[in-house]
Amino acid sequence: MKPPVDGRLDALRGSSPRLSYNARSLAALENNPRCTLRALLDASGSDKAAIAAHIGYPSPFGQSSFAFARGNAFEAMVKDNGCAELLRVLRETLKLTLPEVAYLDLNEVGGAGDNDARHRRTTEVLLEAARGNGEGTLFDHPLLHLQVGGEGAFLEPDLVAFRIDGRFYIVEIKSFPIIDGQADPAQVRAATTQASAYIIALRALLAHHGMDTGAVSDTIVLVAPKDFTNRPTAAFVDARKQVAALTRQLSRIERVSDLVDLLPEDLTFDLDLDLTLPKKEQRPRRPAEELAAAVARVPATYRPDCLNHCEMAFHCRAHARAEASLDVLGPAVREQLGGIDTATMALGLARGQLTPTGDQSDMAAALRHAARLRDELTEAYGGAA
Amino acid sequence: MSMLSALAHVEAMQNMTAVRLTAFRHHRLSDRPLVIIPLTMAGEAGAPLAVMAGTARRDMTLLVVPQPRNRDQRFAFAADLGRVVMDYIDSYRQDRRGEGERSQYTDVPQIIVPNQGGVNALADLGRMCRFRSTTGPYAVPEVVPEFGMWLTFLVDTAEMAGTSMLLPLTALLTEHWATGQSTLEDQNLASLMAWIAPPRGVSIAQALEEAENPDVCPPAGPSTSPEFDNRDLAPAIKRFDTAHALGDPHTLAAAQTELTELIAGQVKPTWRLMWAAISILRSIPKAPQTARRLDRDCRLFTNHSDYRDAGGLPQRKRDTAISAARRLSQLERALADFEAAMAFDDPFVLADRRSGGEAFTGTVVESQPNRTAITAKNTTVPRPRVTVRTSDPLRLAAGTKLISPTMPKGHKAVIVSVLPDGDTTLVTVEVTAGMGRGRTPKAGSVPDLDKDIDYLPDPGWRPNPTFPDSDHTPWTHSADPDGPDDSAVPENAAAEEWGHDN
Repeated sequence: MKPPVDGRLDALRGSSPRLSYNARSLAALENNPRCTLRALLDASGSDKAAIAAHIGYPSPFGQSSFAFARGNAFEAMVKDNGCAELLRVLRETLKLTLPEVAYLDLNEVGGAGDNDARHRRTTEVLLEAARGNGEGTLFDHPLLHLQVGGEGAFLEPDLVAFRIDGRFYIVEIKSFPIIDGQADPAQVRAATTQASAYIIALRALLAHHGMDTGAVSDTIVLVAPKDFTNRPTAAFVDARKQVAALTRQLSRIERVSDLVDLLPEDLTFDLDLDLTLPKKEQRPRRPAEELAAAVARVPATYRPDCLNHCEMAFHCRAHARAEASLDVLGPAVREQLGGIDTATMALGLARGQLTPTGDQSDMAAALRHAARLRDELTEAYGGAA
Repeated sequence: MSMLSALAHVEAMQNMTAVRLTAFRHHRLSDRPLVIIPLTMAGEAGAPLAVMAGTARRDMTLLVVPQPRNRDQRFAFAADLGRVVMDYIDSYRQDRRGEGERSQYTDVPQIIVPNQGGVNALADLGRMCRFRSTTGPYAVPEVVPEFGMWLTFLVDTAEMAGTSMLLPLTALLTEHWATGQSTLEDQNLASLMAWIAPPRGVSIAQALEEAENPDVCPPAGPSTSPEFDNRDLAPAIKRFDTAHALGDPHTLAAAQTELTELIAGQVKPTWRLMWAAISILRSIPKAPQTARRLDRDCRLFTNHSDYRDAGGLPQRKRDTAISAARRLSQLERALADFEAAMAFDDPFVLADRRSGGEAFTGTVVESQPNRTAITAKNTTVPRPRVTVRTSDPLRLAAGTKLISPTMPKGHKAVIVSVLPDGDTTLVTVEVTAGMGRGRTPKAGSVPDLDKDIDYLPDPGWRPNPTFPDSDHTPWTHSADPDGPDDSAVPENAAAEEWGHDN
């Protein structure tokens, strides 16, 4: 008999400390929900960056200290003096009537590291507020809890949830600018995904205590610098679509246990760190080839946009390239050549060297036609560049 | 993407070499383009860090903002760059040809940036500059708003298919070559060039690996690599700030030199790569209809130049409903024309359309050259019909108007019927134009029996749609019920905050 899922996930992670979901892994979840490798690494809380680096694919997701400093400075400025600037934009830009405001920082409870105490305090305060008692209007740094793949994950948003007219709103503070009322769509999308996770988590909290989930709005408030200044502006962003998408994806991976059951029992992504050393000096002791072999046993679904948000992407790309998988070329080519998985197969069909199966015959005819056209052109104009 | 381009990408991937997608270069390349590589500071869209600009490989200017967060330095930089760019643009505002309404400049400037990010960086810079006031508390040099308005104009034209006044180099290269990597990776100029022209003695695979290593190939911008930021740039900016605070001219000059050299090290590889790419692109013959598109560029350039000479206001922050509709119609039109012109000029592009069933090539198997028809005005006109047998997967329906690159200029036809015949298709077309004025068609104006002929849909002539005047905007499209946004009025926007509060 196999050990229960929790134990199996812990075994997959091995000795390393558990990592919780962050903005990047949530983005990865939204963009590539069907990737087994990503699902297992994230659900087990494994350190994807360290694993990728150890097997020879260091991830390029360094953050520039400028971006970091800018983000922190902007957030601090917005929250200064009991969120004075935030209240200004809520009142002036979004025309909200906030009569009296009480600000509660939930960061200070229980000391650093005691997530359970912080989560209890968050629950207490938010439930009081939801019942209409308590004096909070703005809640800073609540610690929420999200079920991902049957596993609990703490979300530590650097956000303020505020309550107006009996509804909670999620506020995302971001440092990319809103220029003339428009912001970079990719960045807005990422921010909305992150906020959607908080909406889901907050709703789960209310539902768990038998309260109406409608008390959490699915419109988020995005606070970002106005034009080229440092002054904030705000906008409502409709997150309905992404809340729905994320909910669907979360329910789909509800059963990480099903994935775990398919794995060989001895499989682990353990880095074998020497935990007695200070964190900075910990080096993986597990042989890289062994870890690489373990990672290679789990199927991954590579897509080029993984390069933007998944630490394992370079590993997966190398594998896709080695297999001549059409995933390397991205969705535009994949869609055109539906049902064909590798470059070898596509060219084999195009050159008439492979016999197509029944459902490939239309595709094979189109490929042969395209190949004939290319041959004519190559003859007339020369092929390679 | 068509089946043909998909196949080209697969071939490139399998054979590990770039595969050409066109026979011609469909964008004009100027003899004297202004190459600009903009760099911005991470985390702040409107904070330019540096720019390298120049009209020849060996003639470059590097401008650096030592402390990008400082607004005064930002606009001093904008003024310096503005002078470089305006000198270049003004050199094209000299020769005019034609009289009155038709008078226009004979050539246009051309700015080339590494990638779409470079275009976006110039758009931000243009937006930052064009509303600034040259008087009052935060006065900027006179060139700044002028430069901003020109940048905005160039960025706007870059959205129009077939124009060549502002071009991202990666787009030019991917138009001509298919690589064995994804569209996302094609945005990286170094990766793209690794496929097309890897350094001598280096395999494509190795060149690709180097292209993704920021220490070997620094990113082509606008953002710099985070490692570079943290390791080199942040300490250097700090030293500059310290020197600035101390006010010692020697240390300040030293700190400034250090910063400039650091950044030069980051842009120079991209600079060399860009000129290498430009010279490769120059070696590709240009498509015949490029000249016609240059004429449109001259028109656009002259109009904007005259508007500037007349002291026009800066472009709005947001289009009004009517100007947005007008612009969209122009962009759609330009795209349709450009696609048709490319297919007409270029057998590769035509083949691409053929593989998607949007064009066809075949052999004339039946011909009625002397067929006539009687028009509504009761005149007899030649309306010859020919039947073409094609093995292309045709998807065009009867009634589609056609043009043909294989027939003399002016030839037009319309599809009468499409009948499948075994593996092939028989298309009967009626020739409607290009036959001269006589009762019988001119010699050579009707396809002969057994001739191979290409047909593609005619983008046709469309009248410019008429839009209501701005004071007659339908209520469905009128301004926000919350009241008009005052920032839409350019005069008010000039009073934009300086934002110098950090």
